[in-house]
Amino acid sequence: MAFPLLSLIVFVPAAGAAVVMFLRSDDLVRWVALGFTVLDLTLAIAMLAGFDTGTSEMQFVEKRPWVPALGITFALGVDGISALFVFLTALLGWISVLASWIAIDRKVKQFMVSLLTMQALMLGVFSALDLFLFYVCWEAMLIPMYLIIGIWGGDGRVYAAFKFFLYTLAGSLLFLIGIIVLYFEGGRTFDILALMELDLPFEVQSWLFFAFLVAFAVKVPMVPLHTWLPDAHVQAPTAGSIILAGVLLKMGAYGFLRFSLPMLPEASVHYSTLMMALSALAIVYGGLLALAQDDLKKLVAYSSISHMGFVTLGIFALNPLGLQGSILQMFNHGVTTGALFLFVGLIYERTHTRSIADYGGLMKVAPVYTGFLALFVLSSMALPGTNAFVGELLVLSGGFAANLALGAVAVLGALLGAAYLLGMYRKVALGPASVGARFKVRDVNGREMVAILPLAVFVFWVGLYPKPFLAIIDSSVTHLLQQVYDKGNGP
Amino acid sequence: MIEFVHPALLFILGAVPIPFLKGSIRKTYLVLIPALAIAAVLAMEPGSYGAGRFIGQEILFAKVDKLSIVFATVFTIMALIGMVYALHLSQAGQHVAAFVYVGSALGVVFAGDYLTLYLFWEGMAFASAYLVFAQGGERAIRAAFRYLMVHLTGGVALLGGIVLHGLAAGSLLFGPIGGGALAGTMDTGGYLILAGFLLNAAVPPLNAWLTDAYPEATVTGAVFMSAFTTKTAVYVLARAFPGTELLVWLGAVMALYGVIYAVLENDCRRLLAYHIVSQVGYMVAGIGIGTEMAVNGATSHAFAHILYKALLFMGAGAVIEVTGRRKLTELGGLYKTMPLTVALYMVGAFAISAFPFFSGFVTKSMVIAAAGQDHRALVVLALTMASSGTFLHTGLKLPYYMFFGTDRKLEAREPPRNMLVAMGIAAVFCIVIGVFPEPLYALLPYPVAFEPYTGVHVTESLGLLMFTALGFVLFLKALDPENTISIDTDWFYRKGARAFLWLAEKPLARYEKAVSNVSDTLALPLLHGTARAGLRVDLNGVDAAVNGFARAILVGGGALRRLQTGVVTHYALAMIAGVIAAIAVFAVVWQ
Repeated sequence: MAFPLLSLIVFVPAAGAAVVMFLRSDDLVRWVALGFTVLDLTLAIAMLAGFDTGTSEMQFVEKRPWVPALGITFALGVDGISALFVFLTALLGWISVLASWIAIDRKVKQFMVSLLTMQALMLGVFSALDLFLFYVCWEAMLIPMYLIIGIWGGDGRVYAAFKFFLYTLAGSLLFLIGIIVLYFEGGRTFDILALMELDLPFEVQSWLFFAFLVAFAVKVPMVPLHTWLPDAHVQAPTAGSIILAGVLLKMGAYGFLRFSLPMLPEASVHYSTLMMALSALAIVYGGLLALAQDDLKKLVAYSSISHMGFVTLGIFALNPLGLQGSILQMFNHGVTTGALFLFVGLIYERTHTRSIADYGGLMKVAPVYTGFLALFVLSSMALPGTNAFVGELLVLSGGFAANLALGAVAVLGALLGAAYLLGMYRKVALGPASVGARFKVRDVNGREMVAILPLAVFVFWVGLYPKPFLAIIDSSVTHLLQQVYDKGNGP
Repeated sequence: MIEFVHPALLFILGAVPIPFLKGSIRKTYLVLIPALAIAAVLAMEPGSYGAGRFIGQEILFAKVDKLSIVFATVFTIMALIGMVYALHLSQAGQHVAAFVYVGSALGVVFAGDYLTLYLFWEGMAFASAYLVFAQGGERAIRAAFRYLMVHLTGGVALLGGIVLHGLAAGSLLFGPIGGGALAGTMDTGGYLILAGFLLNAAVPPLNAWLTDAYPEATVTGAVFMSAFTTKTAVYVLARAFPGTELLVWLGAVMALYGVIYAVLENDCRRLLAYHIVSQVGYMVAGIGIGTEMAVNGATSHAFAHILYKALLFMGAGAVIEVTGRRKLTELGGLYKTMPLTVALYMVGAFAISAFPFFSGFVTKSMVIAAAGQDHRALVVLALTMASSGTFLHTGLKLPYYMFFGTDRKLEAREPPRNMLVAMGIAAVFCIVIGVFPEPLYALLPYPVAFEPYTGVHVTESLGLLMFTALGFVLFLKALDPENTISIDTDWFYRKGARAFLWLAEKPLARYEKAVSNVSDTLALPLLHGTARAGLRVDLNGVDAAVNGFARAILVGGGALRRLQTGVVTHYALAMIAGVIAAIAVFAVVWQ
């Protein structure tokens, strides 16, 4: 067996969690957590470096028997769809640690254990090739997240954590039922690749599609199953928000790509218009609500709903442009929205208010902060030259090709994005320096800069030279579309 | 020898060091870069540069031909003039924004594909919005925000059009769509692209952003803005939609629309802004006519217009700079204290009014002549009327109230020297082009067979101008500016934005709150209700049943206990009786 790179990537954070548990000093805990997450990132970079873009096959595959009696194996592997997410998770991991450096000042050890466990489980989700393993990680993830929101969150943390838990759990239960059905239909195997070869009758596909839909739509989240998100985001500590927006939301969309499309191709095609309509609704609805927010975090949270609408729109456009765009856009969203939450967190640490009305003229007191904020705001609204533009352009091209009217709605959503983001920026950064008079605001320091800069690099890198990223995605997307169209709907 | 230096990059990358330079080094630098850009444009050879692929599409960073060179030439000259005019500023922000703005405009001019075009298109919107933001104050910030939103709306229409057009045409290379020989091939994408372009060209009813934002911009920023955004739009229209019939009529209406609205204006820069709308109307009409002469006319008029309009804005800006006032009703009598400014401004005014031997004459007459040659009498009439109106406002009314008229004893002096120098350069261009039009004509995309200085042309236009002047003298009182605010189409988006926000804030947010709390208001009560009901069922039903059963057993047990006598033989007897009964039942049942 080759070098178990993926296992290492998954288990390094877990090992970190185990080590941190035995440390006494808070400072040491922070540094060790940072060390493990940086190591993890290095491994993820190594994974991308060794990634063969010419094939749609799973790479870095590892298989070990786990519960042979039930057909459960410990199988890991990545393809073009999951590779970027593994990398994104690793990238946001150490940034989350940095973002919690001073924001988390009590029970630091417990926090870092939760964070690292979370990290390991998320990486497990993206690299699992066994449905059982996938589900275990998917469910287990709820616990550290619940703790992160419920213990280190804001004033309404218990309510938010509870809501988050309820919504996702309810979705997951249907998912579990779907998994069991697949297990028996597929001849008692949890092997994801084998299950993709199944040719289920349309009836069964439909039921499974909706069972999966609820589970994934809650995670994405798609309107109308989104209401846990604003609460969870607002209450979560910065690191929690970054992980929620950056990684957790992607899992729903990843679920569509990994399960719904290849395993249930006929149903996916059949319900694609419905899904696109729901996505368009999410784009506009999320955008409008973001426009109405006075709370910075809520604004970014609702903008996530809108942006994830683009992602699902691209997925269910079911053409190469749409799929490439949505996968790339998920990566972009992770970078950009992760950064925006980081920025909200940074300013909250200084002023302890998230109300936009309390700000104004921030540019005069914190020019570097507002400069970078402008960059990420522009990226979020998909200005050409930034990462989101490439993703959105591809998604829109795919969307237009699939359904003109819904594509048009999505374009309007892009405009709403400009309205709420620029409106927010105007109120926060420009105007008379009222914020400086009321709060003592210092500009970003070195530690914060270290967290910001890599994200800024990706904004430009993907924006100006997206080729390497698209190359990773490309062959898997082609393969996925073959699975959708050849198996279920071919002659 | 480097055969091609992209002037857009010269400006955009050149913007980076500005904040780090100080004093006279910065000043030299600010003039040096535009000068280098002029040299780069002059040295340019037609051809395609910087081809590549981006997300699977062919892109072409720079496509150089005669049309792009004309615009690039005037843009770089204008950049130099504008920079000189802005040299006295100590803050780097506006310089940087202006550099990015000019660079983006040049980027659009050389863009060989729609993606590159869109990139720079948006860059222009942001950079120019900053020039309004930089004015400071709530009014300017709001105006800048409106300006930006309108442009982003146009940008979104453009982007949608680009995507649709790209899907239909299979290529994103920037070229003619739907006009002239391609008539009838316009699709939805083409119309969306056209809409995006028309918005930037400030075609009514999409014009309000211009007259809304320009008067709020900084003194130096407005000079840049007057030159680049609309003329870039003219360029892309000339590139993509020559010979589109719709443009002829839009252009004619525009030319009159701007003039009519200018009547109502009291703010000096707003008045000038309306004249941009009017003047761009000539160019749009020329492009719509689409003949070689008409496109030449539109192009040359854009060239001349950039320079004289900038001169007018610089003059008005100088007045605002020294007096701090911008309303005509508050100005007057400045000719004593600012004679040079007055003289330079008047050169611009004569140029825009198309006096013979000023630049406007040799270019505007070409557009009108092209319309005549194409037998479009109505268009000729509209453009001629607009021409008269232009002289009335910018040549007579505005200078009269600003520099002459009632002396309001304002404390004024000549503006800083750099401003005067900039105005001087522009004025020289206005006159030189008017007297020696040939070099400009040689730059134009098509060969020019037009002679402006014929007896008919000159007497005709002089007659028109004199008649207008006479009218002005006779009806002077009626033209007195009033201190009013005129309502243009910006009303719609001012209100529209509010309506949108209301929709988002009131009904939708309420709905969202209701849905969001559904777990509180509906789901949890339901759950708790069910739970309580369950508890009741449990207590009263199941428990009762279980308890009842238990009680029954207890009672039964008591009864049975009575049967227990403790005598073994009784039990044995009972057992035997039971066995016999069982056998009997078995025998009967299993027959």
